[in-house]
Amino acid sequence: MKMAVIDPAENEVNKNIWIAVGTWRWVANDDNCGICRMAFDGCCPECKLPGDDCPLVWGECSHCFHIHCIVKWLNSQQVHQLCPMCRQDWKFKE
Amino acid sequence: MASMEKRLHKELQALTKEPPRGVHVDQESISRNITEWLVHLDGAEGSLYNGEKFQLVFKFSQSYPFDSPQVMFVGNNIPVHPHVYSNGHICLSILTDDWSPALSVTSVCLSIVSMLSSCTEKKRPPDNAIYVKTCSKNPKKTRWYYHDDDV
Repeated sequence: MKMAVIDPAENEVNKNIWIAVGTWRWVANDDNCGICRMAFDGCCPECKLPGDDCPLVWGECSHCFHIHCIVKWLNSQQVHQLCPMCRQDWKFKE
Repeated sequence: MASMEKRLHKELQALTKEPPRGVHVDQESISRNITEWLVHLDGAEGSLYNGEKFQLVFKFSQSYPFDSPQVMFVGNNIPVHPHVYSNGHICLSILTDDWSPALSVTSVCLSIVSMLSSCTEKKRPPDNAIYVKTCSKNPKKTRWYYHDDDV
């Protein structure tokens, strides 16, 4: 009787390269920016690429926006700088 | 596309897909020009305006939504209401001082329906005659005083 013996060493697959695929999301309490209505995982209408070039910022009230959107709003306000969502005084969360 | 147009297209899409009761956008008006919308509004059931039909015009500047839209009643049925002048101008704080870029055409329409619905007596503002004679065509140029929150 003959038995086939598979030598594990000969059947080894060489792994020379591997390709990693990653995804990312902003961890925000909403899907869209309340100011521009674009997705948080996208960018504000003035930007081309999402991510670090068009980051999100949080207020102490816990509402969050694209930084470009909230700064544009705050700059347009002369007297009070209020959160567009809850109208509390806007303070950037440290 | 300008950011204002992007946002208006988003709003139009949402409003067309899921319009609130008694609010509908005149698509034809927008196909000509996205910066000027005609919106049809029905007086709410159970209110003094039940069965009445109104038309609102929204005009958006390039700075929308950072700048509030210009909103007024137009057409031959201007609601008789203590905060609505006979030329269609509306005294409503969210249209000027209390505007927020988180508001939208939908939320403005709902605020106006709600303002109409809480009315208990159909009458014009006390200063209607003098106001319509002297005001600017653009209601945003009026310096409004908001003092009466009851209606």
